[in-house]
Amino acid sequence: MAELDDIIHQPLRLKIMAALNALPVASGLEFARLKKLTGATDGNLGAHIETLAKAGYVSVDKAFVGKKPQTTVTATAAGRGAFARHVATLQEIIAGKQV
Amino acid sequence: MVTAMIDSKQAAEALAEIDDIVQRVRQSRLYELASLAAIWWGVLVFAGNLVTWAWPLYAGYAWIAVDVVGVAGLVALRVFNPPHHAYGAAFDIRLLLVFVLFFAFGYLCTSVIGQFGPRQQGTFWPLYFMLFYMLAGLWFGTAFVAIGLVITALTLIGFFYIGAAFPLWMAFVNGGGLILGGLWMRRI
Repeated sequence: MAELDDIIHQPLRLKIMAALNALPVASGLEFARLKKLTGATDGNLGAHIETLAKAGYVSVDKAFVGKKPQTTVTATAAGRGAFARHVATLQEIIAGKQV
Repeated sequence: MVTAMIDSKQAAEALAEIDDIVQRVRQSRLYELASLAAIWWGVLVFAGNLVTWAWPLYAGYAWIAVDVVGVAGLVALRVFNPPHHAYGAAFDIRLLLVFVLFFAFGYLCTSVIGQFGPRQQGTFWPLYFMLFYMLAGLWFGTAFVAIGLVITALTLIGFFYIGAAFPLWMAFVNGGGLILGGLWMRRI
């Protein structure tokens, strides 16, 4: 029986992973774009990205575009796998295979 | 670590949340690509109208160049940004076919069925282009409809009220409008 992923299950982290997973493999989203998509605050988003990064689910790249710092977050292969399993578990719960 | 336990209602809510964010990401990526296309066409249309206004004798050549370079740019955009699914081909020949049909029908209207003068041509093509833009917007996002409506309205104002400077008006309204619209789409 599959289990929900406790790291992904948190609502904002679920949104972050869903957004990153919707991109082509190895494509990432800029922090500002992710903030807009999830409706999160800077601090909250930063903290949850850190949690996902510690779990190895996302990679964070910081670079300078001109003089502006730009942070790009990308789902790793492990993160994509964990997200797919989490979604499958949610579907199983709805289908009544799990409670 | 405590494993989360949820019921089917909460699971359905989580899946709906995922669907919603996936839709928003797709919309955002679509606007990103569409903004590049709009800016590309905007620059070309601005140049085409400027040539029409400053050197009317070369207008015909300028617009052929604008159309060829414009379509080539869109094809390149599509090739370098293939769709995000396994069955998507790197280039879809239907895209090219759409433009062939688009220009063929426009030519039929302006030069075969009707004999449009430069002013009518300068009005018809932006209106025709914006009609498709707005129709696409009904499926792909309201920004297309908004940009199409504004450019259509300003084109008609120019047609009825602007005199000899009409091509210059269209450089800013159509070319500038597409550039500004493209930049706006990036911020949505």
